[in-house]
Amino acid sequence: MIKDRFLDSIKSRFSMIKFTLLVFTRNISSTLGLAIVLIYVIIALIDQFYPPLLGLTNISKLSLNFTQTLPQPPSYAHPFGTTYPGIDLYHAILKAIRVDIGFSGFVTVGAAFIGVMIGLVSAYYGKWLDTIVMRITDIFFSIPYLVLAIAIGFFLGRSLVILSLALMIIWWPIYARVVRGQVLSIKEYSYIEAARASGVRNIKIMFKHVLPNTLAPVFVQFSFDLAVVVLVIATLDFIGFTPANAYLPELGYLSYIGYEYAVNGYWWTILFPGLAIMIYAMGMNLVGDGLRDALDPRLRR
Amino acid sequence: MRLYSYIIMRILMIVPTLFGLTFIVFILSRAGGPNVVISAYINPHIPYALQKAQLMREFHLNGPLWVQYLYYLSGLLHGDWGYTKTGVYSGPVTGAIAVFLPNTIQLSIAAFVITAIVGIPLGTISGYKKDSFTDQVTRIIAFIGISLPIFWLAQMLSLAFATNTVSPYLNVLPLDGTVNPFLLTNLNWVSSQGLSSPTHVMLIDSIIHGDLPVFFSALSHLVLPATTLAFTTIAPILRYMRASVAEVLNQDFVRIGRSKGLPEKLVIKRYIRRNALLPVMTIMGLVFAGLLAGVVVIEALFDYPGMGYWAVQSLINYNTGGIMGVTLVFGLILVFTNLVVDIIYAFLDPRIRTGE
Repeated sequence: MIKDRFLDSIKSRFSMIKFTLLVFTRNISSTLGLAIVLIYVIIALIDQFYPPLLGLTNISKLSLNFTQTLPQPPSYAHPFGTTYPGIDLYHAILKAIRVDIGFSGFVTVGAAFIGVMIGLVSAYYGKWLDTIVMRITDIFFSIPYLVLAIAIGFFLGRSLVILSLALMIIWWPIYARVVRGQVLSIKEYSYIEAARASGVRNIKIMFKHVLPNTLAPVFVQFSFDLAVVVLVIATLDFIGFTPANAYLPELGYLSYIGYEYAVNGYWWTILFPGLAIMIYAMGMNLVGDGLRDALDPRLRR
Repeated sequence: MRLYSYIIMRILMIVPTLFGLTFIVFILSRAGGPNVVISAYINPHIPYALQKAQLMREFHLNGPLWVQYLYYLSGLLHGDWGYTKTGVYSGPVTGAIAVFLPNTIQLSIAAFVITAIVGIPLGTISGYKKDSFTDQVTRIIAFIGISLPIFWLAQMLSLAFATNTVSPYLNVLPLDGTVNPFLLTNLNWVSSQGLSSPTHVMLIDSIIHGDLPVFFSALSHLVLPATTLAFTTIAPILRYMRASVAEVLNQDFVRIGRSKGLPEKLVIKRYIRRNALLPVMTIMGLVFAGLLAGVVVIEALFDYPGMGYWAVQSLINYNTGGIMGVTLVFGLILVFTNLVVDIIYAFLDPRIRTGE
């Protein structure tokens, strides 16, 4: 009996997801975005688990070649050219995709988790707790994220891990606000009241009845943030947040190396790393747009 | 009467935000231990232990944290914001702010003006003629605007347009700085005390002294950074304006304006655009925050001597005072921008102040 109900709930959830995917893939541009993102994710996974497939060795560090340090233009041996000191850009970008996607995913998942939990609890219990949390998010919104990231990274140390922790601290308030708005409206529905009247504990109501219904806008925000965080990580690395581990494969760092050469005519040293970031961010934004339309009940029909 | 009480309440609401802001900056600066705080004041020629004891006493680093925070707050109120030592400026933080902040304000205002001039009309057309060719192009521009790394755009634009690059493309705009330094060598407004610059902004100073070549040089130095900066903030304005115009389009007052026989241009200008701008006001604070974040990168890239340039210099030079000063100033700017935006919005939309 209980098992049947469990299976039923899983089945209904699954059909919901299937329907959402159907609506999502009906839109050409969002399908294209999904394809782009999938290609990037597959590259990152191959990097992580079987790098020889892409011809890579030593994936956590750029391979240097000091016999020919000046950037070489794109050729058959180096499809994207090379950058100083003799780094093959094609391999470097393939390696960098793993680092960038991995850290942006880490940051966004962490921030979403913290934000959802805080927003859920504060909005569910309301009153003074809600007021305090909202004032705290106000404070975080009152500092430009890039400046706050610089400050946190500056005082806590310059490594990619600390940087992503700093970005997590900066990013959770957005999710707290998104979830709060949802919870405040869901709280008033009669099924919550019914659950409360029948003596279900608050924690169970929160996580079983309220939380699943707040997640749609969280997913939309999540996909947009994956794009933004990649840009922010690259930007921070570009302006001098290069971790102590020099020659870390990271797209912002690759553009940073290339800049001095690009103004002297070696344009490919910044063109390809920038394009790699831009295409990923575009794909992710397309996915976010599509997801927002697919999850919008007004447009679903 | 209602409006005044709303404004007073809104002003009172920033008090906890200000405390939180200063507290975050304070806690961050203390997180690395007392050595980080006093490192800027150490003289390498005097024994370290001697100086450390004195500096710990002087900066009240021995007391509990909340006492230190109170001392920090009183220092802020008395104009003692610390000391900064970087390659571009050495001296008190307040002095550095006086030098760098005007340039940043100039750059942000220029970018904001470009954003408004380009974003609002394009957004209006885009929402008015949905799915037309202009609309498609506009949407693609907005889309690229949010997906583009701003430093990359800056690099590409300077590669294409800047004169200081070797690349054989369009060499029309200067690459870095605020003004051509060769113009400053034989100026009549340079005295023995250095440059007489009442506002610290070349654009305005040159007008005050009636020096046109310097003025045009300063203006041309502003074009590349301001355009790059504006490109990222145009995107949200475009999107909001488009959605907002599309919403207003079906309202009764638009139909009434048309049935009165008003020319369509007047309907767009008086009825549609004005009402569509109202919701766009709410994201102005957000847009301004985006501008201030972009400023850091843009100024660092174009060697534009503003707050962002100073922040990156402090970052490279391991300078605590600079980082704390920049964070605090940007936070204060944003807090007060949001305050002003909210108050203007309350003036425009009576529903807000009556609490509906």
